[in-house]
Amino acid sequence: MEVALRKIQRPDPYLDIADVEADAELMLLHLGPQHPSTHGVFRIDLYLDGEIIVKAVPFPGYLHRGVEKLCERLTFVQQTPVVDKHDYVAPMTSEQAINMAFEALLKVEVPRRARYLRSIFAEMQRIASHLLWLGTFTLDLGGAMGGGTTLFMHCFRERETILDLFEEVTGARFHYNTHTIGGNRHDLTAGWAAKVKSAMDLIESRLSEYVSMSYENRIFRQRTSGVGVLDGALALELGVSGPILRASGVDHDLRRDAPFHAYDEVEVKVATATEGDCLARTKVRVEELRESIRLVRLFLDGLPEGPINGGKPIKLAGQYKVNTGQVYVGIETPRGELGTYVIAGGEGGASPYRLKFRAPSLHALSTLPYVLPGATLSDCVAILGSLDPIMGEVDR
Amino acid sequence: MSALLRGFVYGLLVVNAVLLTSAVNIWFERKFSARMQSRVGPTRVGPLGLLQPFADVAKLMSKEDTVPASGNRVLFTAAPLLATVCALAAAAVVPFTPDVVAADLDVGVLWVLAVGSITTIAIFMAGWASNNKFALLGGMRSIAQAVSYEVPLVLSAMVPVVLSGTMSLSGIVTWQSEHLWIAAWPLIPGLPAFVIFFLAMTAEANRIPFDIPEAESELVAGVTTEYSGMKFALFYVGEYAHTLVGSAIASALFLGGWSGPMAATMPWLGLVYMVVKTLFLFFMITWVRWSLVRFRSDQLLAICWKWLVPISVGLVLVAALWVELVPGVH
Amino acid sequence: MGVDKPRTSLPLFDEGGRSYEHPLYDKLLSMPGLSVGVAPLDRLLTWGLTNSLWVFPMATSCCGIELMAAAASRVDLDRMGTFYRGTPRQGDVMVVAGTITVKMAPRVKRLWEQMPEPKWAIAMGSCAISGDFYRDLYPVVPGIDTFLPVDVYIPGCPPNPESLMAGLLELAAKIRSEQGKPLTAPVQKTGGLVATKPSIARIGDPERDPSLSDQQMEAASRAAESPVARPAEELEMPPVPETAPGTVAAPPTFAPELVELFQAHGVVDFPKDAPPVVPLARHVALARALVERGYKQLVYVVASHWLAGKGRSGNVAGGPEHHEVAYGLRTVGPKRGAEGGSKLAWWSVRVEAGGAAPTLAHVIAGADWQEREQWDLVGVRFSGHPDLRRLMMPDDWSGHPLRKDYPADAHTAPWR
Ligand code: SF4
Repeated sequence: MEVALRKIQRPDPYLDIADVEADAELMLLHLGPQHPSTHGVFRIDLYLDGEIIVKAVPFPGYLHRGVEKLCERLTFVQQTPVVDKHDYVAPMTSEQAINMAFEALLKVEVPRRARYLRSIFAEMQRIASHLLWLGTFTLDLGGAMGGGTTLFMHCFRERETILDLFEEVTGARFHYNTHTIGGNRHDLTAGWAAKVKSAMDLIESRLSEYVSMSYENRIFRQRTSGVGVLDGALALELGVSGPILRASGVDHDLRRDAPFHAYDEVEVKVATATEGDCLARTKVRVEELRESIRLVRLFLDGLPEGPINGGKPIKLAGQYKVNTGQVYVGIETPRGELGTYVIAGGEGGASPYRLKFRAPSLHALSTLPYVLPGATLSDCVAILGSLDPIMGEVDR
Repeated sequence: MSALLRGFVYGLLVVNAVLLTSAVNIWFERKFSARMQSRVGPTRVGPLGLLQPFADVAKLMSKEDTVPASGNRVLFTAAPLLATVCALAAAAVVPFTPDVVAADLDVGVLWVLAVGSITTIAIFMAGWASNNKFALLGGMRSIAQAVSYEVPLVLSAMVPVVLSGTMSLSGIVTWQSEHLWIAAWPLIPGLPAFVIFFLAMTAEANRIPFDIPEAESELVAGVTTEYSGMKFALFYVGEYAHTLVGSAIASALFLGGWSGPMAATMPWLGLVYMVVKTLFLFFMITWVRWSLVRFRSDQLLAICWKWLVPISVGLVLVAALWVELVPGVH
Repeated sequence: MGVDKPRTSLPLFDEGGRSYEHPLYDKLLSMPGLSVGVAPLDRLLTWGLTNSLWVFPMATSCCGIELMAAAASRVDLDRMGTFYRGTPRQGDVMVVAGTITVKMAPRVKRLWEQMPEPKWAIAMGSCAISGDFYRDLYPVVPGIDTFLPVDVYIPGCPPNPESLMAGLLELAAKIRSEQGKPLTAPVQKTGGLVATKPSIARIGDPERDPSLSDQQMEAASRAAESPVARPAEELEMPPVPETAPGTVAAPPTFAPELVELFQAHGVVDFPKDAPPVVPLARHVALARALVERGYKQLVYVVASHWLAGKGRSGNVAGGPEHHEVAYGLRTVGPKRGAEGGSKLAWWSVRVEAGGAAPTLAHVIAGADWQEREQWDLVGVRFSGHPDLRRLMMPDDWSGHPLRKDYPADAHTAPWR
């Protein structure tokens, strides 16, 4: 790995606030759990010197729904609709992650067409998710009553076109429940591919407009460049993955480096940047948007005919059984490596004994104690937004 | 006695006109921003949703009036009043036509600047009295912003004063009707001074990209975090009134106010000119607001001290030289 | 009292049972002759209220995304004068969109109390209505009407943005239908976070029997006690074949050089389908060695709890209670042909009951949060950890929910 990782002196996340308190009068500000910019329910305790953050203590868990416990009570085929609710901005990818783990555990083959469909869905989810991110990120920078909203609305408008396409195939705007062990449940409707292509054309043609409203704008650049710098070595240690890691100069993308679905049949271009700041994260994500549009077209053109499910038709909730074994399968989602660790051998073998989701957002949030000190309160909002946390998968 | 009566009548007219226009502007801004965002905006209340701001105010009137238990009740109540009254008081000296001006003060410009800056105190009062950390941060930001942006605001307002040799707004407009708009002639101190005045005025009115005291995404609702009901409505309308009056003053100082073709013979045309110019400036502010993201507070101050202040000092000097060197200015 | 009589009886009450006085009504009522103005004023205010419902979004999860979509271009709630305010002081309707957990519920309650009267609550989505399929899980509140007076329920998972709009219109109709009716004090219950009836009569639903809420809550707790239906054993399917043809996402395998490294750290057995077990004493050293070899990215820390008689290979007669903690590290770097790419190394340690695993937080900073989470949820201790606090559950929570002896539907007072 020949990447120039920038060495930056790390702030101490275990800083004893009493030491600082002697020199400066600090203000303890609870940001969240209900705050317009915490992207859900998330709390950070900020120790502020004026507006400069001295120490940041994040508190996740306000959305901990005990899903891992629930999954121990459900059988393998019952899990998909539950995990939809984790990464609720890209639910397809959560479904894929868990079903791929079960397929590996149960040794079920996925037909080629289903793998193509999964790739198409995954890339479209990446587009929808990154669009939503771009919108909410500018919203964080620009406020609910200003320019931020404008880009937000435009991004949502485009996202709706993608949701419509999903709705046509699966019947749901999100929370699709379309993947199952061994493949997919819904095949494409007639004429869907053409609609996808025209939607891709539309989004691609409007992308330059969004770029001009975001990182080509001087104020946007001033607000993001040099803000929230995360060096690659620390990012790796913290388990950060996805666009945030790539923006910190680490060339790593599971789609290319450990291919799954049909990614071994195409060449995935991975966007990276070296600055590691919020601006770099924006650029990487916008590049990924372009790349995803290209990949969707590529997969649609190469889409093979054939069955879409290699598993047995589902007649019973407990039809798949396995008593021993552990697997971990990680896939690249819009937020990074989403993995599922399954230990087999729950009651009767039909359900997992223990299921753990490796949520990329949780790792992304664990960078906060390192990147926030030294930033201002305004930067804090920008940094938090640039990490693209989805609390559903952080807290599960 | 008649002067008192005149002041009373005009004051009533001006205050109501400003408040009404503010309400319409709220509607306009919601519609305009909606169109920018490929939405339609309010449609259900009244024709084209025109009554939306009035519904909002009626709603806010019926809301409970909360005061934080640990806040300062007196200051908390006084702050929104002060903010709105100051915005309206500045309107007193705005010349709408050669005759329609509530109080034609000799020191009109000074009055506008002085009264306008009290708004900051009101905002800080609100922030402090709320006993809320977000509001306090907002109040502190607004002080920092005001202390900085007052300087270019005053300096750039000095350019028309120096050029026309009077501090009365009517006098400045009259001077412009005899010469040209100050934003156009003399171009060099005129146009940049107008731009700086406009920027600083946007900052004073807490509009994006200068709205750091409110900064919804950071400070929840900034100084107004704890405000509900009518007190919030006062801030809400006051902000628009402030922007509107600011636009009116900018157009009087730099865009010739009521002056224009045939305005001398038909005074009502002057009123039309004035209103059109004011609304145009307001429209510009709205346009900018819905296009840009906001600055960070340190960047905001850097722009002011690094660029606006030195340039506006230079502009005043140029204006003074102009008066000295060019014959027939006064 | 007649329906069309103007309201004459003040005061109103807020959530805490304190009365508050309405500034305008009070003035009008106290001035002789002006009390006739109350009825038109009431009409005016109701017109304002119904046409300007500002939403205080209590968006916690997925439904929150639809809440955002409702404000966006396609549906555009602004058409009916509704927009979102970030502070409870300026909201009229609290839309609870998403799952409310026991950690969040007190905050929701508090934010609700901070909203000025008159105020309404909308439960958006099955989670807010009843807790969805999480309802009998330990951290989830089974519906917000256990502690908030809900006016409109919008079903769905998630409800479409259009449904939200319909719900808001429904609320407006409800407000209008209650116009001019007398006001009553809210029904107060003693105790902490218990259900309260709507505080203002105008939001009261005459159709709804007040005892219904109590019945519902009882039913909720009954449902929580009933066991989950299991598929019958006799419907068993044939077992899965040992190897299936074709492409299967491969579980991590061991490169030969790693086998050596692991053997040097005391690993003897390399099972095909599970991580090798590393002796506790060598585990930190192994992690260090792996990091030096380029396994730099922390992937996961997964603890599992095994009751006595259970183990990774099934039932182990006489086996002691223990924890297993699995770790995974990755290499990063682009794949070039067959070379490079990302490889995963995994191992696990076995921690006997009462014991502790040495922490990896000093080797890999990211292990800090992961180990905190596993301690919080599974209850395995990590010795030498710099900051072993709970990560997910509230600080005052007792027990570790993912332990096998922890009931999934442990009742969390006072919501059940
Ligand atoms: S009701 Fe469904 S969509 Fe809504 S928060 Fe609950 S799980 Fe998510």
